[in-house]
Amino acid sequence: MNAPQQGFKERADAALKNAVLKIAIDRTTGNAERKRAVAIAAFPEFQAARARGRAIKDHVIAHLDHYLEMFERNATAAGATVHWASDDAEARAIITRICLEADAKLVTRAKSMLGEEIGLPHALADAGIERVETDLAEHIIQLAGERPSHIVWPAMHRTREQVAILFKEAHHPPPAADDPATMVQSARRELRAKFLGADVGISGANFLVADTGATCTVTNEGNAELTTTPPRIHIVTAGIEKLVPSTAHAFALLRLLVRSATGGEMTQYTTFHCGPKRPGDADGPEEMHIVLVDNGRTRMLADEFRPMLRCIRCGACMNHCVVYRQIGGHAYGGTYPGPMGAVLTPVLDGLAQSRDLPHACTMNGRCAEVCPVEIPLPTLLRAWRTRSWRERLEPRSVRAALGLWAMAARRPWLYLLGSRIGVRALRLFGRRGWIGSLPLAGGWTAYRDMPRPSGRTFMEQYRAGQAGRAGQTGRETRK
Amino acid sequence: MSARDRILAAIRAARPAPLPPAEAIAAEAAALLDAPESVRPRPVEEVLAAEFVRKASALGTSFDHLPDRAAIPLAVKRYLDTHGLPPALALQPAPALAALDWTDIDTHDTVAPDQAAALGLALWGIAETGSLVIHSGADAPILLSFLPLHHIVVLEERSLLPHLEDYAARMAGQPQPRNAILITGPSGTTDIEGSYVRGAHGPGFLHILMIGG
Repeated sequence: MNAPQQGFKERADAALKNAVLKIAIDRTTGNAERKRAVAIAAFPEFQAARARGRAIKDHVIAHLDHYLEMFERNATAAGATVHWASDDAEARAIITRICLEADAKLVTRAKSMLGEEIGLPHALADAGIERVETDLAEHIIQLAGERPSHIVWPAMHRTREQVAILFKEAHHPPPAADDPATMVQSARRELRAKFLGADVGISGANFLVADTGATCTVTNEGNAELTTTPPRIHIVTAGIEKLVPSTAHAFALLRLLVRSATGGEMTQYTTFHCGPKRPGDADGPEEMHIVLVDNGRTRMLADEFRPMLRCIRCGACMNHCVVYRQIGGHAYGGTYPGPMGAVLTPVLDGLAQSRDLPHACTMNGRCAEVCPVEIPLPTLLRAWRTRSWRERLEPRSVRAALGLWAMAARRPWLYLLGSRIGVRALRLFGRRGWIGSLPLAGGWTAYRDMPRPSGRTFMEQYRAGQAGRAGQTGRETRK
Repeated sequence: MSARDRILAAIRAARPAPLPPAEAIAAEAAALLDAPESVRPRPVEEVLAAEFVRKASALGTSFDHLPDRAAIPLAVKRYLDTHGLPPALALQPAPALAALDWTDIDTHDTVAPDQAAALGLALWGIAETGSLVIHSGADAPILLSFLPLHHIVVLEERSLLPHLEDYAARMAGQPQPRNAILITGPSGTTDIEGSYVRGAHGPGFLHILMIGG
């Protein structure tokens, strides 16, 4: 994949310095957090539904081969062609081949994170095929030449003023004003002809329904159906973990997905695609291809990251993540940002490339609290940290510092002495109860203040407390 | 070894015990749908139609209640006039709609890219979410529900279902259409600064003509 050149630290640093980005992130994630809270409060059965959703995903993961074969059988019977891809390169090759064999000049695409994961945009460009992103946010980032910064709101890092500049350059005629409504109208006008003139439409899938062979997408704009209906060929790309036993199981997960993602109860369009156009049908594609992609998923099945296969890509973990809300999605450098991305990126890009991500976490547990399928994200991030240590991927400075700490931790007298000196020394840097800058820690204190320590270690205070309580207990018994 | 074989082999290698018989897996899957009332929202209104109207209205869908299908053309004319639209309509090529008296409206069975208004039939309504169900077919083009700015839909009150699972049950074991779509309110987007705008690429207006009671 086209991994950014800089490291995570440089990207995070640049993001922290970008005040406009902070405003943009706050607007979208703040909204999402509030709306989700309202939706959950209005659904007292949420916790039970969540446990059920988790059980459905666990059931599918435990019988994945059974459901994949059932899905393949039923999708084939409905007239679709099912393809299998072990990795991103195989998936790209299959899709490019289908497009080239159809002599496709123009491809419309409805947003799919899996498409991003397998590098579909670049593959189509390399094959000389015009690609038009039809989801409004994807349209924005295509014009900006960027990658998604959020899995639900890919353009959330851009303010309305920035979007207006892009649209004024690309749209003919340009939008008359830069309020969201006028710009949405402009995109509607601009993309109409593309929808109807495309040779191939590519979509993702939120669910693959095993017992009907249908793929299911949930969208709000209506662009997905305009992408999948007019072209001669419809291609679906989906991860193999997207299976559900039946339509009813998909609905059970849908209740969790929509509330967790946007705070709505139902997306505007919940669409099941079952094979190509039937004889006599008024419209629809002549061919439907479904590309089932592994790309590391069977590896996760066999190790401690298996619970991550439950993920239904709602984005709640990133909306509630204190780190994501400071640095946004691009700083993570992978296809998927936030907590779920910090677990998935090492699977997709390798731990050596992405060992900083599992460390970019405060372990506050908010992500796991809001996850609609109870994925223990902090536990999985800790597992990556452990693996990074065991595989000796941690830099020498970190290993040396931890070695020093471990040496002291095994000698209580030394540890106590060190912390006594430490808390007293730290007090020297405090002003009005807070420490605003520290030598050798400028990167940390540039964006944060630390409470000034009390001047005595925990152990010192504990002993003093014990002594005091002994005296108190004596008084109490006299009462 | 094909990618298919590699993927299936890797899945089997990750499982300690052999796969249970298909009946046992099916029984486990069915059990995951038990006691649906414990994992779905409870209706506020006792009457199905009232609950449907409550949910759909909250999403910006408008309603007109009609005694029978014969009242449809007049109700459509009223809607077009209210919105200042010309008396022209893309009509779903369904016999039930073609049979009506369209004297006052210029109807056609093709839908233009910039179609102002279209009229179609919903197969069911789902009260839990305020959703309309449409299926693709010979007399049901999908684009009719997506190209127009104003989407007007006929829904029989007796076709209302309480919950999403009730629709799944209707379709279980039945031949599936190419597209089955649950339409829940007009098209919209929050992609620019999270602010909600109606009428992204699909209809900006959804109007339901509810028949009977």
